[in-house]
Amino acid sequence: MDEFEEILQDFLVESFELVEKLDEDLVELESNPEDLELLNGIFRVAHTIKGASSFLNMDVLTHLTHHMENILNKARHGELVITPEIMDVILESIDLMKELLETIRDTSSDAGIDVSGCVARLDAIDNGGSGTEVETPAVKEPEPEPEPVKEEPKEETESSSESDDEPDYENMSDDEVEKEIAKLLAQRQAEDKAKREARIAAGEDVPAPPPSPDEAPKAEPKKESTPAPVAKTTPTPKKATASAKSAGGAKAAAPAKKQVAPEQTIRVDVKRLDHLMNLIGELVLAKNRLIKINDDMEDRYEGEEFLEELNQVVSIVSLVTTDLQIAVMKTRMLPVGKVFNKFPRMIRDLSRELNKKIDLQISGEETELDKSIVEEIGDPLVHIIRNSCDHGIEVPDVRIAAGKPEMGTISLKAYNEGNQIVIQIDDDGKGLDANMLKDRCIEKGLITEKEADTMSDKDAFALIFKPGFSTAAAVTNVSGRGVGMDVVKTNIEKLNGIIDIESEVGVGTTIKLKIPLTLAIIQALLVGVQEETYAIPLASVMETVRISIDEIYTVEGKNVMRLRDDVLSLVHIGDIFEVERIMEGGEYVYVVVLGVGAQKLGLLVDTLVGQEEIVIKSLGEYLKGIEGIAGATIRGDGGVTLIVDVVALMEMARKVKATSMISENSDSLGAKKEKNSPSDYTIMIVDDSKTDRMIMTKALSELGVSLVEAVDGQDALTKLKDGTHNFDAMLIDIEMPRMDGYTLASEIKKYNKYKNLPLIAVTSRTGKSDRMRGVESGMVEYITKPYSADYLSSVVSRNINFKF
Amino acid sequence: MSDKLKQVIEKQAAQQDEELNDHSDDIVQLVGFIIGEEEYAVPILSIQEIIKPFTWTRVPQVPAYVKGVFNMRGSVIPLIDLRLKFGLREQKHDENTRFIVMKNGDDIAGFIIDRLTMAIRIKRENIGPAPDTLIGDDTMIEGVGKQEDRIITILKVNKLLERDF
Repeated sequence: MDEFEEILQDFLVESFELVEKLDEDLVELESNPEDLELLNGIFRVAHTIKGASSFLNMDVLTHLTHHMENILNKARHGELVITPEIMDVILESIDLMKELLETIRDTSSDAGIDVSGCVARLDAIDNGGSGTEVETPAVKEPEPEPEPVKEEPKEETESSSESDDEPDYENMSDDEVEKEIAKLLAQRQAEDKAKREARIAAGEDVPAPPPSPDEAPKAEPKKESTPAPVAKTTPTPKKATASAKSAGGAKAAAPAKKQVAPEQTIRVDVKRLDHLMNLIGELVLAKNRLIKINDDMEDRYEGEEFLEELNQVVSIVSLVTTDLQIAVMKTRMLPVGKVFNKFPRMIRDLSRELNKKIDLQISGEETELDKSIVEEIGDPLVHIIRNSCDHGIEVPDVRIAAGKPEMGTISLKAYNEGNQIVIQIDDDGKGLDANMLKDRCIEKGLITEKEADTMSDKDAFALIFKPGFSTAAAVTNVSGRGVGMDVVKTNIEKLNGIIDIESEVGVGTTIKLKIPLTLAIIQALLVGVQEETYAIPLASVMETVRISIDEIYTVEGKNVMRLRDDVLSLVHIGDIFEVERIMEGGEYVYVVVLGVGAQKLGLLVDTLVGQEEIVIKSLGEYLKGIEGIAGATIRGDGGVTLIVDVVALMEMARKVKATSMISENSDSLGAKKEKNSPSDYTIMIVDDSKTDRMIMTKALSELGVSLVEAVDGQDALTKLKDGTHNFDAMLIDIEMPRMDGYTLASEIKKYNKYKNLPLIAVTSRTGKSDRMRGVESGMVEYITKPYSADYLSSVVSRNINFKF
Repeated sequence: MSDKLKQVIEKQAAQQDEELNDHSDDIVQLVGFIIGEEEYAVPILSIQEIIKPFTWTRVPQVPAYVKGVFNMRGSVIPLIDLRLKFGLREQKHDENTRFIVMKNGDDIAGFIIDRLTMAIRIKRENIGPAPDTLIGDDTMIEGVGKQEDRIITILKVNKLLERDF
């Protein structure tokens, strides 16, 4: 980024912040016109922007802010009373300012926006309000600015002496003062990163062409299109001091305080924070892995001394990682007030437009949320609040008739609740009428009458989020197009958030948005289906239940179950993600009850693996947008686990044809091949000794079964998994290189589909504890060497249900 | 003063451009590999790394040639079986099987190949265009390299990394 750009960027960041504040303050000022402090604050903000923009040659912006400032200045001196009409114009000019700033952000110049209309209106007010003054063309001369300079020179020194190293202005010549002022402006300009560059640049330019004071002020009001940059800079600094000084009377310390405050914070590029967040993500993954290894070690070397130490290190690492993660998350947090503070203005405009009286009460604006989330919730809130104003709050007459206060109240609250933040919007308007909503939807063909009959009130309220739905009889400027609430739903769900509506006819409506604190690292429930594992964001999981297959009913081709008083539709995760069914299901299944908004769905899974903190990773450009998958995460064992997109999954569940659990089972049974001859049975012999393998082969040759040999545990596992053979049993030696028999057995038993595969230990280890370990690792039989051929074959045939 | 700044910056930018255009190269470096019976190659600079096969996670709702995703040092990378993509039958992985991770800008994916051959240095003039019948916007073939007795099909990495489902 080049230097000019950098300065410009800083200017824009600062200006957007200031304008945002301006909006808020002005609305407050309207209800509190006597608040001189507030007015001074507003003036200062307008002024800063004007000064900075002129420094950057943004003529249109400077021109506009200059005229606005004139009015504010008059108001400040009590020459003008700010009426709602005047406020309208001021607010209009602030909107223009925002537009200009946006243009500057996009094109680096402020050309192309016409401000003359607004400026004319500002002038009209200025002229009208300046009745006391003798000279009518007040605007033509920069009256308000120079005058204060002469009137209150003492105050200037007072206020300035409070700042760090101000020279003595009184003993300076005009030119020196000009220079000093220009320097001050430059400092303020470059408060952040570009401090040094800006200061040098200002220092260079100012002394070069010292403009005569008369020439400069003239240049500005005459709207000369592009005066020399210096001519522009000089008049403005004057005002910079003027504002500081005149504010000085009321609260001289204010400007000084402002200069100290910025040192408490640093502006950091969001990219850096994102990078930091990614690194933390990696660390969390490594931590999970470390914990897993620690657990494995504990199992293997129980009672060893070094374990204690390892344990300590692992706990410290995991503790610090967690703290670090929280700390970094906090750096990305912004107060939700950033979004809230545009609403007072919006409510003001809306209430004037709709002829309603609405009071907005904001609380909890200091509640913090991840930056990316703060950016996303702005739009939904706008729509909800517009809706509350338009459809919720009644016009004053109706309110009085209903015995309510004339002034309607909308309250906007934010607060933390566990791992979520709740944004609650209450209004005391007419409330939602469930029956009316249903009728509307039937009319528009969004739902059928049958659906409407079975709908609870909560479900009916959720209808307002359907695209194309609107209760407004006519489309107004404010709402009624039937898209807004759909936007709310989409955006909130994108954030893994939940919307909750409560309403009572005639009393009011409460909408709660429940949003996770951060997007990058979430709590998830890991579920297993066949050999696969999926992660479900815990925020969407309402509960899990274990049910018997008998409890699943089929209604109209859909699987359902009774959950307390509700009927819950069920879908098997395997049907959604096309999981191949290798293993037959047990008698019991687990149901994960998912809830998004008012919708619920029961997701059938084979196993519940547990709850884990996971780091969300994208699947990348190549695989993005796979329906039902929100991303992936890396687990402690280094494997990748896919994260379920609950919203999309609910959508998909509707389309999936239900497969009856019972028929599924018989299908998978049928998949097991009929055994027609002894050679249809396949048995694996796992032994590192060739002689032992020979002995076993001989012993089993009489049975006529097919035999496959493996030389160690690793080899056996590979041969088992590659699926060339369907093994009916395995004979396993215990002492083997690479992977021993116990480990092999427990590895095999990790797979659902091998749960029923008989594993037979054939070993010379005869100790009781060896046998115990064999049983623990999943062996069904324990044959000690030496053994007779008959004994071996009888044990094998018993275990494979040999029929020949 | 903003004008001055701009001037300086423009000057610097111009200098940088000159530096970039300074060198050109006639030798193309490729890495060759076998899929089925054919030898293919991709530019060496597009290869992020070559690794031995390990476990991956299946991803639903994708064509058969997309095997899933795997973890490469903390990144989740798609895995594509080039045998299947080129219309050959799937083959069991053996000790020669490798995953080649290729990168083009932000696009990245791992490809399963039967075996590696070698790094190839080939003169640009020895690379012919793809056969006429295969020329088109959709072709995955960048050109055909001739070297001694061999013919090597050079693949377009950006096309390989393009999602076509």
